[in-house]
Amino acid sequence: MKRTIPLAIVLIMGITMMVQFFVPHPVSVGFYDLTTKWIRIVGAFALVLGTGSFIMFHSDKVRRRRQGWYYSIVSLIALVVTAVIGLGWGIRPGSILQNVIYASVLVPLNATMFAILAFYMASAAYRAFRARTREAALLLVAAFVVMLGMVPVGAAIWGKLPELAEWVLSVPNMAAKRAIIFGVALGGIATSLKVILGIERGWLGGGKQ
Amino acid sequence: MKFFEYLLKIDRRIIYIVMGVLVIIPLVKPLGLGVSSGPRAKTLFDAVDSIPAGKTLLLSVDFDPSSMPELYPMLAALMRHAFAKDVKVLLCGLWVTGAGLADKAVTEIPPEYGKKYGDDVVYLGWKAGIDAVILGMGENIRNVFPTDYYGHPLESLAMMQSVQRLRDIPMAVAISAGTPGYTDWLNFAQSRYGLKLGAGVTAVSAADAYPYLQTGQLTGLLAGMKGGAEYEVLIQKNEYSKAYMPAVAAMDSQSLAHVVILLLVIIGNVAYFATRKRGA
Repeated sequence: MKRTIPLAIVLIMGITMMVQFFVPHPVSVGFYDLTTKWIRIVGAFALVLGTGSFIMFHSDKVRRRRQGWYYSIVSLIALVVTAVIGLGWGIRPGSILQNVIYASVLVPLNATMFAILAFYMASAAYRAFRARTREAALLLVAAFVVMLGMVPVGAAIWGKLPELAEWVLSVPNMAAKRAIIFGVALGGIATSLKVILGIERGWLGGGKQ
Repeated sequence: MKFFEYLLKIDRRIIYIVMGVLVIIPLVKPLGLGVSSGPRAKTLFDAVDSIPAGKTLLLSVDFDPSSMPELYPMLAALMRHAFAKDVKVLLCGLWVTGAGLADKAVTEIPPEYGKKYGDDVVYLGWKAGIDAVILGMGENIRNVFPTDYYGHPLESLAMMQSVQRLRDIPMAVAISAGTPGYTDWLNFAQSRYGLKLGAGVTAVSAADAYPYLQTGQLTGLLAGMKGGAEYEVLIQKNEYSKAYMPAVAAMDSQSLAHVVILLLVIIGNVAYFATRKRGA
């Protein structure tokens, strides 16, 4: 039953929603409207799962004194403090959550983390970006053209460089991207059909029948 | 040869210092390299420019503070452009961490043009569900957002009287740092409800958007800080704004950062091949 009922729900809903897409009747549209509400409500339950797994993962790390366990304490404290402030004093603009936790803690921390990337990227590119093969050399040349063409200094070096960068993005890059997108889309359709038809059951997780 | 061996082992702290100095200097003393607008930004500009006065531009704030330097200038420039043309602005977001950034824009930019909240601009806020949110907005915005970000019922906002669903909106621009983002708007709003869509993305994800540009599914693209700078230049040139241009100001820094990375790659490769020859 644990497996049969979810499989039946997925099969019925999967086929129904596929058919619904092509039926503009008010009943069909009403049903579609209702299901989008359901999806939003069910989606909100992901918060419960996420919070649960977050607490379990970090508690386990602290208990076993794994590497960096003290950061897990900070994470757990941050979770509790943010939740308490949000639930106790509200989340509206002007609240402590917005003015202190968001504007004064999250924004600068988040921005700092991302800004550090520039330094790591410079160091990593210097150490790892080698033209060892013809393909790597081609990638290197393309990277040079795009990186210079995307900033004003590129145009200052050579006026045609931005156009060349645009061509690299519009022609070879797009051909490759399109092939990837087609592959991903076809893979997505195949996987969706396998899930709907009950061939792919990984999403059911472990456990007994 | 020792020199090349040294070049292969430059201490990363030296790289960090050089990078830091070269990024900071242009921010303090601009080099004035200038920014010219590219065709993608111009397409988006023309599309927003052609929205009739009184109609609504939807802006989806799908980014967080980490990508704020790249994407917030786009949001600000698009809002300024819309207000200068008397186009109303409706904001929403698919990233919960971006909710405060949209609030900042709604608080700071409309007063520059004498625009009032509720009449000329509305911020819906964030709701869980991503694709279901977009699909729901396609049917009825009030079903998804009964109230705005500030708790006002949508019925009480004058601007929302003429905006019931996505089909009532002539154009949207999704400003995205990743997933969820413009691809979700493409898959659900553009394809199902025919919403005309532009995009603003981080530089690293610009390459992914090009296939959608060629098919016409995307109407214009702002790529990275350069995209933001291009749009700032366009609205300034057309006298829609006289505001400070943060993206243009940061372009000198980005130029030098790119040059540093390229020089380091060249140094690394020259040293690598020189020492390899010797080894052979």
